[in-house]
Amino acid sequence: MYKKPYINQLIHCGCGIMNQRPDLEPFFNPSSIAIVGASPKEGSLGRAILDNLLLRYKGIIYPINPKYKNELGLTWYSSISELPESPELVIIAVRADFVPRILEEAGETGCKAAIIISGGFAESGERGQQLQEEAYRIAQKYGIRVVGPNCIGVYNALTGVDTFFLPQERMRRPPRGPIAIISQSGAFLASIMDWAALEGIGIAKAVNFGNKMDVDEVDMLEYFGWDDDIRVILMYIEGLKPGRGRDFIEIAKRVTARKPVILLKGGKTSRGASAAASHTAALAGDYNVLKGALKQARILEADEVLDLFDMGKALANLRYSRGRRVAIVTNAGGPGVIMVDNLIKYKLEVPELSKELQERLKSMFPPRVAVRNPVDLTGDANNEAYEKALTTIVESGEADIIVVIALMQPPVLTVELGDLIADIAWKHHGIPFIVVTMGSEIAKKLEERVEGRGIPVYNFPERAARAVYAVAHCSKCG
Amino acid sequence: MREMDSTEIIDKAISEGRSKLLEDEAYDLLSLYGVAVPDHCIARNIEELGSCANKVRYPHVLKVMSPDIVHKSDVGGVIVGVKNIDEDIDAYKRIVESVNKKAPGSRVTGVLVQHMVPQGLEVIVGGIRDRFFDTVVMFGLGGILVEVLRDVSFRVSPLTYNDAIEMLDDIQARKVLYGVRGMPPRDRNALAKIIYGVYQLMDKHRNIKEIDLNPVMSYERGACVADARVIIG
Repeated sequence: MYKKPYINQLIHCGCGIMNQRPDLEPFFNPSSIAIVGASPKEGSLGRAILDNLLLRYKGIIYPINPKYKNELGLTWYSSISELPESPELVIIAVRADFVPRILEEAGETGCKAAIIISGGFAESGERGQQLQEEAYRIAQKYGIRVVGPNCIGVYNALTGVDTFFLPQERMRRPPRGPIAIISQSGAFLASIMDWAALEGIGIAKAVNFGNKMDVDEVDMLEYFGWDDDIRVILMYIEGLKPGRGRDFIEIAKRVTARKPVILLKGGKTSRGASAAASHTAALAGDYNVLKGALKQARILEADEVLDLFDMGKALANLRYSRGRRVAIVTNAGGPGVIMVDNLIKYKLEVPELSKELQERLKSMFPPRVAVRNPVDLTGDANNEAYEKALTTIVESGEADIIVVIALMQPPVLTVELGDLIADIAWKHHGIPFIVVTMGSEIAKKLEERVEGRGIPVYNFPERAARAVYAVAHCSKCG
Repeated sequence: MREMDSTEIIDKAISEGRSKLLEDEAYDLLSLYGVAVPDHCIARNIEELGSCANKVRYPHVLKVMSPDIVHKSDVGGVIVGVKNIDEDIDAYKRIVESVNKKAPGSRVTGVLVQHMVPQGLEVIVGGIRDRFFDTVVMFGLGGILVEVLRDVSFRVSPLTYNDAIEMLDDIQARKVLYGVRGMPPRDRNALAKIIYGVYQLMDKHRNIKEIDLNPVMSYERGACVADARVIIG
């Protein structure tokens, strides 16, 4: 009686997708770039794009603007058709109504990738919507992939491709690193990149696609999924394109099997569903459905902006843990307690250590040291005390993750503690280490020492707990 | 009469201009996809109650069948705990009488005689069509408090059987499924099978808009739909 309707299709769904890397390479690694709307004028958008490319991009740059011939030591062209070759990537930063014609011209020369920085499209009313549709038709006709319109485009720390029209002094570029960012919002992306630069968080690639007329978060996720320079993908999205859910799930599942993806959703408040005909419809709401979808695709959800980076930093450096038993070694009671509260909140376990292990620890330390977990070495603990406690716990096999809380205000600890922690962590790299230190200069020094060795450090227990949660990545952690 | 296949059931309802399947149609459709539904039988008149009594185990629930009535219990169209054929006949008469009084002019095509499934843990399984994810399924604690507690989880297409299993653990009250305070653990596979069946049904039939199975009775062994609503169009 039980029919199995096309069950084979369900099992083999997604064949044909992601068997090959999507052809977005020209956006991130083009041999030549034409900038339509380039300008030598200080303070203009066309100048900012040009300056940023001149700074680091090693390929050929073709500035296009009929008003200029020779400026800034470059040869300027009046149109794409005048160029000696078809540019591999064209950046378009001119008024919206010129854009269809420029795409047409780019298509004629055989160019296959365009970033439309310009606004004035679907985001700005009916006329803009028509222009966007026209631009899309032309792009389709010539097989041009388009990022944008109404976006800041792409950033690649490795090749120096940087279409963000924000000057260097306004938006500092972060150091190279293993993180990629996909953002629906350009302003958000620019500000968090600037902040990441301040924090020293390494970014490999970033993209903002604005109105996502063509390339969207699903394409980018797939592309970054293939990229071996990227260890973690951070996403900020407000909504998928209608009908793109299935592709999103299929691709995200494959990507998360290779590397962590962390997503922050903007616009979580659900639209009213009062007229719903069923309970299910009344309870659904876009965000609730998306939450389920993210779990299904093994994408970690960030609750807030800091979460994205707290979790991102942990997963860029550490592997997933084998389980969720956390052992805490601290030299201060309060932060240890706060740490436990926050770990429990995220459904992590902070089990009491075995009697045997407690006895062993007791024999090493004065009686005031608490050994149940957290192991509180108390304020006069020195580097050696940490070394003994950490080594003993790690070798016991009773912890899947280690949180080290080291407050540097008492005079006994020195910043060499950082190397000591890192040495133990690297020797036992199956067990992720997360370090918490709170305070000013001295804390910063320890942080630099530890992070320099690839162990993530957090300034508050709450933020470290979020990182532990990410590293413990399990579907039932809540 | 030959049993209808799933497409025929839906097409018939659409051709009659209905946006909701009759309950027996919903049961037949669901059972084609492996969803456990109660034994049921249609009596178009009092005489047919006899053959229904042979087919459907007691106790019975009798529900009025009418294309004009949405909320059956509001018009006295549902009688539960019917224990034998005499009570069947009595219940039939009372339903017709009550409906004639409370919803005059409504067409009554008969009654649905349904096995009254034993009380279990009440859960809800549902499905909707979403503009982003297409088929979306839902699982949660059911019964009348479902919209108050809102303890539900969602998954989207393409859904695997394992996704359905994981949904069960994705509600706040997940512990009740494992048995608490002397209550038995529930048959998780039976629930996952219902979720997966709803998913397959909606994934195959684009003209199903929404499905509400509420409550689904969840037992230590097995699970059974106790009320089904299928919206089409």
